[in-house]
Amino acid sequence: MTTLTLTTSPILTRPVPGALANIAAVAGRELRDALRSRWFILYTLAFTALGLGVSYVSAASSGGAGLSNFGRTTAGLINLVLLVVPLMALSAGASSVASDRERGMLAYLLAQPVSRLEVLLGKYVGLAGALLACLTLGLGLCTAILAWKGQDTGVAAVLTLAGLAFTLALGMLSVGMLVSVLARRASVAVGTVIFIWLVFVFVSDLALMAGTIALRLPIDQLFLLSLLNPLQVFKMWSLHAGDASLDVLGPAGLYAMEEYGPRLHLIFAACLSAWIVLPLTLAAAVFARRSPL
Amino acid sequence: MIRIENVTKRFGRVPAVDGVSLDVPVGESLALWGSNGAGKTTLLRCVLGLLPYQGHIRIGEHDARADGKAARMLLGYVPQELGFYDDLRAGEALRFFARLKGLRLARSEVHAALANVGLDGHHAKRIRELSGGMKQRLALAIALVGDPPVLILDEVTASLDACGRGEFVAMLARLRGQGRTMLFASHRLDEVTALATRVVMLERGKAIADLPPADMTRRLGAGSELHLLLDAAVRAQAVALLRERGFEARLNGRGILVPVPESQKAGPFRVLAEARITIADFDLVPADGGHTHSEGTP
Amino acid sequence: MNTRTAISVMLVLAVVGLAPAQPHEAPTAIQRAPETVRSTGVIGRLIERAAPGDTIIVPPGVYREHLRLDKPLTLEGGGKAVIDGDGHGDIVEISAPDVTFRGFIVRNTGDNLDKENAAIRALAPRATIEHNTLTDILFGIDLREAPDSVIRGNVIGGKPLDPARRGDGLRLWRSDRALVEGNTLHDGRDAILWYSKGVVARGNTSRRCRYGLHLMFSDDVLIEGNTLEGNSVGVYLMYSTGVEVRGNRLLANRGPSGYGVGLKETDRFTLRDNYIAGNRVGIYLDGSPFTQAQPGRVTLNTLAFNDVGMTFLPSAKGNLVTENNFIDNLNQVFVAGRGNLDANRFWEGDRGNFWTDYSGYDQDRDGIGDFVHDSTTLFDGLLDREPKLRLFLFSPAQQAVEFVGRALPTMRPEPKFVDEVPLMRPVAVTLPPAPRTASRVMLIAGAGVLVGVFLSVLAAARLPACVFEIGGRS
Repeated sequence: MTTLTLTTSPILTRPVPGALANIAAVAGRELRDALRSRWFILYTLAFTALGLGVSYVSAASSGGAGLSNFGRTTAGLINLVLLVVPLMALSAGASSVASDRERGMLAYLLAQPVSRLEVLLGKYVGLAGALLACLTLGLGLCTAILAWKGQDTGVAAVLTLAGLAFTLALGMLSVGMLVSVLARRASVAVGTVIFIWLVFVFVSDLALMAGTIALRLPIDQLFLLSLLNPLQVFKMWSLHAGDASLDVLGPAGLYAMEEYGPRLHLIFAACLSAWIVLPLTLAAAVFARRSPL
Repeated sequence: MIRIENVTKRFGRVPAVDGVSLDVPVGESLALWGSNGAGKTTLLRCVLGLLPYQGHIRIGEHDARADGKAARMLLGYVPQELGFYDDLRAGEALRFFARLKGLRLARSEVHAALANVGLDGHHAKRIRELSGGMKQRLALAIALVGDPPVLILDEVTASLDACGRGEFVAMLARLRGQGRTMLFASHRLDEVTALATRVVMLERGKAIADLPPADMTRRLGAGSELHLLLDAAVRAQAVALLRERGFEARLNGRGILVPVPESQKAGPFRVLAEARITIADFDLVPADGGHTHSEGTP
Repeated sequence: MNTRTAISVMLVLAVVGLAPAQPHEAPTAIQRAPETVRSTGVIGRLIERAAPGDTIIVPPGVYREHLRLDKPLTLEGGGKAVIDGDGHGDIVEISAPDVTFRGFIVRNTGDNLDKENAAIRALAPRATIEHNTLTDILFGIDLREAPDSVIRGNVIGGKPLDPARRGDGLRLWRSDRALVEGNTLHDGRDAILWYSKGVVARGNTSRRCRYGLHLMFSDDVLIEGNTLEGNSVGVYLMYSTGVEVRGNRLLANRGPSGYGVGLKETDRFTLRDNYIAGNRVGIYLDGSPFTQAQPGRVTLNTLAFNDVGMTFLPSAKGNLVTENNFIDNLNQVFVAGRGNLDANRFWEGDRGNFWTDYSGYDQDRDGIGDFVHDSTTLFDGLLDREPKLRLFLFSPAQQAVEFVGRALPTMRPEPKFVDEVPLMRPVAVTLPPAPRTASRVMLIAGAGVLVGVFLSVLAAARLPACVFEIGGRS
């Protein structure tokens, strides 16, 4: 009787779905949900509008005389990315797990034949897709504006910027998800990432500025400390990739060029990769132990 | 089909499940019976792999902890209330969970699965547009995807009104006849009598009895507690009336509580009907030695 | 003066027996002759035989020889005659006045920096060197005491050497009144004038060199309509008087010093109508004017998107800076060292400059801001104290600092300079049209790629749901 029922049951003839299949399924679900969500639409609109503003203004101020304004346009877009993208990625990550847990969705999802790592990675991939969509739409329209206004901007610079912005977004998404698995409530998670955003965007830089003046920080220490902030790394990497030089950043930039030369790309890549991999690994470790309820 | 060996789950220092061992053979429908906080839901969550626990749980061939994914492939789970992306359409939700079980449903299969639980034609409705009963039926359809040999039901009618509850229980009763193993938590006597082939009574995390449903009703002779949901305006009047007729009725947040002896469960209904007081809803809860119910049913 | 009635000495005639009217119409058989066929010294023997005033038309081909033009001759290369120096020594030396050397490809000099191996060296007045292409050379055109010479339309490209081992693409030594026009220099060291008065440098282009145009002790020079882009420094004037720099495009000169125009101890200079953008420093003034009585004048220039618009060393005093457009330079005006710019003036009469960072307004609509412009941001002030902080440029923290500076005027540093009559609108400047380097098509393609990625993400997300819904409703 027992064996009969088990063997006739279709479930046993079907293999357990692989990790990739489950990640893809969860990612697709998450992506669809993110694209429909208010935060995504809001951030995308804000990013796109501000980006268009930056491109239009910088293209207009260079107009007529055919000014070569590549540097300022890129700088404006870098500035915009620094402000908007971390906030967007952090808050997307922060609400992902925490709000699901709050709504009871997480327990229901984990009661299915999926592993927790699959759910976490699926969410990560899905949200990364949403962020990619936001960035490419914003920067794509900016590029169109630049082309329309006859701006003397290299296409490689724009594509590089998009790629690096996405890398930064991945890192911030990682941090956001770590906060999300740690926080008890979604509101706490969102509050925490806003604080983290403030630290990355303003507090750490201002502190480092103050420290440089007050403690007379040597230039090598200043540069190394600035590498701790992923936003600074993104900024320096974008400038370095666009101009093949960091000299615009003054003595510290020149120091970095002379000291590390072509290895700078590797250093920047390593820093940003660490911001992607480490928080996500930690998040996975915490998520595996935490109750989903 | 399900073997639970000496499972203990503590929250802090308080054991929610305390050394429970159970063996559910294929085709059996086992009810976990007990009051709120007796550990029913916690035990189910251990089976589902949602909570870490001490002891061992096996589902079919698979250890629920070491081989959780494979173990859960054998389970269909219906929660108290379906919480999922509100914007999702019923058909989409069904397809999503089917994919997690390794199935890609064709359109006709989606329609058939929904029709099976009486949701024909609702595939394009968003979850938030569904009524409570429809949500539970969708959850059941999802649980049944891939035809799993075991169903885990956790207070599945708790959020439904009397009418929806009856329909849902009837649906589950039909399923029981198809040779599925069922493990469900409930504190409703009617559900247990309708669905269970065996009842395990839990109290403060411990299994205190393991008996057929018929025996349970006898054992409950000591009395149950009737929860009546009444309009606020008539509550005081109802309490007075019932006390007049010998029931120890008392007021509670949303209604009144009446401890009733096993033979007189319908008594209060008669009393109130005579006074033309309308009962909005009711619930029968086993009394477990004292007034542990400080509030009514959820 | 340089051209006389020519006797065409047809080399081809002697060899093959054909006499085409023009060398470039020579039979294809000859044009295709392999490079090794030409023996060395062929042109040399013709020069030996030629009489002063003759024209020698050299047919296409590769000539591995070194020439010495010691009588007033005209040599025509037709753009296809190659003179190959075989990697040693100088290649062409003009030692007689009134020589014209035109239309050759001269390549492959030696690389001895001490001996200053040059492609073409002129040692006599009134040389005309035009429409030649010089490649793989150490020094390009070297005039030594060759006044009144004309260097026109040459393309001069250096050897692919380490910058320290390169030679000057163009050098004038004591060659007054030379005309340097329409030449293109790339990948060399400098185009440099030593002790050469009254030279006109017009319409030249310089890319990836060290100094685009460098004047040493050369007075009354006119530098006009040149495009100097991507060099270490655009124009560098040193110890020269009466130089006029007019209508040039000085772009993205970003070497270690990286000046669009640098002036060191230069008197009575005029910078006018230049477009100076994307340099490390737009205009760099060091000890200029050297003599207080001979002030410098900076007017009608557009300084845009440079790291620093104008840098003044404390020694720069007595300059008049009016009607310039200061557009979005990271630092519009920078004073190296402590102190201010009281010794220089940023307005004259009612004409000041246009500043994109001017924060005042113009209520009476007279085109002049109602408040003086003395903008110094807090971040600039911090940079003066600690240049290392430039690392934080473009970061939101920088904007936060500037916001604080605006909100709390007490935090603002002392103004370094004052423009009493700032202009509300940019001054219209006349500029030659810019060559576009970035392709609009490529940009549109880039936009397409990005939007394409966006659409494919959307498609990846939406497609299954849509298919289901459409299917479901049918």
